[in-house]
Amino acid sequence: MIDRRSVHPMAWIAWATSAGFVAFLTTDPVYLLLLWAVSWFVYASHRVDADHARSFRLFLTGAAVAVALRTALVFFGTVNAANTTFSFLEGLRLGTILVIFGTFNAVTDPFGLVRMAPRHFHEPALAAALALSIAPRTVAGVGRVRDAQRMRGIRIRGARALPALAVPVLERGMEEAHTLAESMDSRGHGAGRRSRYRPQPWTGRALLIAVTAVGAAATFLAASVGGWAVLHPQSSPIVWPEADPLLLAAVGLLATPGLVGRREA
Amino acid sequence: MTTRLELGLEPRSARPREAQTRERRTVLVPGMRIALLVVANVIGLLAFLWPFLLPSVAEHVAENHQGDGPWIVAALGAILLALLFLELGRGGLGPKTVALLGVLGAAMVALRLPGFVAGFSALFIVVLVAGNSFGPGFGFLLGCIGMFASGIFVGGLGPWLPFEMVAVGWVGAGAGLLPRGRSWRTRIAWLAAYGFASGYLYGLVMELWFWPFLTDGSALAWDPGGGAWINVRHYFGFYAVDGLAWDTFRAVGNVVLVVAIGRPVLAALDRAARRMQLRVV
Amino acid sequence: MSDALSFEGVTFTYPDGARPALDAVDLAIDEGSFALAVGPTGSGKSTLLRAANGLVPQFTGGTFAGRVCVDGRDTLAHAPRRLADVVAFVPQDPGASFVLDRVEDELAYGMENLGVDPAHMRRRVEETLDLLDLADLRDRSVRTLSGGERQRVAIGAALAAGPRILVLDEPTSQLDPQGAEDVMAALQRLVHDHGLTVLLAEHRLERVAGWVDVAIGFDRGRVRSGTPADVIGHLAAGPPVTRLGRMLGWDPPPLTVRAARAAAASATPARLRSVAPAGNGDARGSVVAEVHGLHASYGETTVLRGLDLDVHEGEVLVVMGRNGAGKSTLLRVLAGIHEPAAGHVRVLGTRPRPGVDVALCPQEADELLFNDSVEHEVRATLAARGEAGGAGPWLAALGIAGLAAHHPRDLSAGQRLLVATAAVAATEAPLLALDEPTRGLDPGSKDRLVGFVRAHAIAGRAAIVATHDVELAAAVATRVMILAGGEVIADGDPGSVLGDSRVFAPQMTRVFGPGWLTPEQVAEALT
Repeated sequence: MIDRRSVHPMAWIAWATSAGFVAFLTTDPVYLLLLWAVSWFVYASHRVDADHARSFRLFLTGAAVAVALRTALVFFGTVNAANTTFSFLEGLRLGTILVIFGTFNAVTDPFGLVRMAPRHFHEPALAAALALSIAPRTVAGVGRVRDAQRMRGIRIRGARALPALAVPVLERGMEEAHTLAESMDSRGHGAGRRSRYRPQPWTGRALLIAVTAVGAAATFLAASVGGWAVLHPQSSPIVWPEADPLLLAAVGLLATPGLVGRREA
Repeated sequence: MTTRLELGLEPRSARPREAQTRERRTVLVPGMRIALLVVANVIGLLAFLWPFLLPSVAEHVAENHQGDGPWIVAALGAILLALLFLELGRGGLGPKTVALLGVLGAAMVALRLPGFVAGFSALFIVVLVAGNSFGPGFGFLLGCIGMFASGIFVGGLGPWLPFEMVAVGWVGAGAGLLPRGRSWRTRIAWLAAYGFASGYLYGLVMELWFWPFLTDGSALAWDPGGGAWINVRHYFGFYAVDGLAWDTFRAVGNVVLVVAIGRPVLAALDRAARRMQLRVV
Repeated sequence: MSDALSFEGVTFTYPDGARPALDAVDLAIDEGSFALAVGPTGSGKSTLLRAANGLVPQFTGGTFAGRVCVDGRDTLAHAPRRLADVVAFVPQDPGASFVLDRVEDELAYGMENLGVDPAHMRRRVEETLDLLDLADLRDRSVRTLSGGERQRVAIGAALAAGPRILVLDEPTSQLDPQGAEDVMAALQRLVHDHGLTVLLAEHRLERVAGWVDVAIGFDRGRVRSGTPADVIGHLAAGPPVTRLGRMLGWDPPPLTVRAARAAAASATPARLRSVAPAGNGDARGSVVAEVHGLHASYGETTVLRGLDLDVHEGEVLVVMGRNGAGKSTLLRVLAGIHEPAAGHVRVLGTRPRPGVDVALCPQEADELLFNDSVEHEVRATLAARGEAGGAGPWLAALGIAGLAAHHPRDLSAGQRLLVATAAVAATEAPLLALDEPTRGLDPGSKDRLVGFVRAHAIAGRAAIVATHDVELAAAVATRVMILAGGEVIADGDPGSVLGDSRVFAPQMTRVFGPGWLTPEQVAEALT
């Protein structure tokens, strides 16, 4: 059930962009790991439903893999503590951005975003949203076709039997595309004028989320430009990373979505 | 390259009250716009090739923002992609194209789920056959949209995404430019050969994304001060060690799939295009 | 009353068509009428429906002559998307026609496309939710809805933009009897209480014949409109009561059970009641399949609890029950595809091997078809068995020998089902299973299927059919079993099981009493 008073997608975009920007600006593991925690907190309070929950777990896995792979890249050159640390921190940064995006994906509804897209992006965005929403049906269809062929004695093993699997799935897809296109055409797709049903209202909550997020990003930008805090800890020689209290607070600001209320069930 | 998705009928001479047909909206890309598309693609290519070009800029970037380079270029890539989309979608894609992109995109998402087997992923076959049947414009769109949607679904997003989208888009577009010949054998042979080549080309281009992370001065590393030719040699050295094996899996996998299911699948797509009156050039 | 929809001299040929799909059609449909398009597959019904909102010719291409006017607008002068506010088109498979995820959003999608202002949209969506009894479903994801609910949402989505004309392509073909009832009742309300004009195409005449006030008969592109009794009465196919009326020379032939009872009351009732109905034959040979204490689940729910069952040679066992009762699961367990949670299944003494001991034709016949000719499709099954023979005997058994060279995808849904059945039968498995074979099936194909299944059983094999099509059960079963709550609640000969049930009673039973199953049976007894 969607809570109609849930947060405006633009607020989430502001949050994700700001958090991503913060991650981009630093390789300090303290800030980055804090960002992981903040993201998880926001995800837990605002995730949409079970499907999104599963995809968040995939993002977490992807993030962990990214960290590991990026660290492993060090083996292409000289391996020493400095290089390894550098590789690891780069990987951590990449992983953080993945986690942030995973959170964004888990708390927003893709179709909501599609309907907000500017005119020229509406159709490609709709196609992407359709691909996401049709995909589970496609996967189920593959299983059903495999079973159906088994039940008439054809086992799908090896490349030679693949047409028996691929063709029915594809033909079904083509028929569905035909029906979908007819339906879209009959319901006025592409008629030019567009309006939005029940556009999400900008609540105080959404505004607060957006403003605190931008504030966090601005703080880090100031630190980067003004140089009054260390954002990239030295790796040769390795020094213990710093944790500037102001910057820590800025990352804390990004936890606002979790603090202003949970998504209603 | 003419990107022309013509949805519907050929105009016929209208005999009053006897036979009337309507020409549908076309996504035609006349001369001026083709130039824009070409320019956008060229800039995209340059964005991929940035480690080889503009050595002084590259050097500067390496010194001060070593890890940032790829991110900045990713942003560039995203902007380029936006421009390409804007251009292709200018006339409005229409319900048929959107529906087909949705259904075939879903197939790519489904095929990405089992993951990669050393570089090979079955999702390539979708853009290969769809591009070959529906044309380069569609193939490009499908490549982009499919990689985007499947990236979200499997949690595989990162600064490489715009490049992944464009690279798979190019694979799809290329499939649409292949000659069809007069027989199925010719058509499949061309597609198989292209599947093989694109398996390597895709890898070659995507590995460029993280190769610049190597700046340790070895013979495989990126040398910001070395100039284009030295870097090309270094890169191929790196690729031979790192990417060649994986891409061979992909190249061979593509050929196997094209030969195994290419013909019935292409026949099905061609029939669908005919049934839906989607004539693509 | 003015015309909502008019066709003047419409002749249309599809781009690859050999002959016109619509041939000089002149038709006027009054505002506020409930019209039904009937006729054999390929006779032009779907084409006409699509011509009503301009999909023909603007979406399909082809050569078009004549004029179609919908609410005063010429369909050639306006693209389908510009007619969305006057005419709504609902396709056969609503699940594939949804664009968005939430029911409420789906209803609003059409209006968003037309740029309707938000306040107006809100009102219309609320009205549509009430109109189609969808208020409880507004926040649900469309993927979680039942067939009947989906169809109503599809109707609502098409109507929300305010059109006064609704065109539906076989709205009840994918639905079980309850879902079909809901949809027809909703359409009835729309016409009678809200003055909409509804035009639908349908094969399952017994479901709709009683509701409509105008019927349009199609024959190879030509149309003839009139009252339902007039048009349907003259069709080769029709609801069982109509077929009976024709056989007995009743004029006009009845369209509903009620009309049939009235007609029967005055036509020698005494003679009928004194004749004992002949059964469908109860030859039972040795056991082919047996099931003991079967527990099986579908996903997380347990659908079968402690089921016992046996199937004998020569039997056609029809398994009935509402959607979700476990019929499909039972068939899949028998086929060896689905692992039971408990209990055992034996076919000819061994655990069933799919494709060898049991061959199952799935609900969606299209899941099997992957060759470029009907002949090759059957050969594929034979080749998998290591047999080199031809497809001839199998095609002949299903009456489709003439289609051997055709591409399966070019055939009608009913013909494709027959091809799939032939491909499945070619396994020569001792037990043939059919899962809901009559979805979307036209009467001609249905007859061929019935003939085949009966011959199959007579030849000494066994068949098990899962269906909620009562008339099919009446025509083909030698034994009927009803599943509910995971258990068998009835099992016996068709006459008594179907006669005993209110929900599953065929039309002949409702008119003449238990034991009377098919019009042929009654007609024979009366003459």
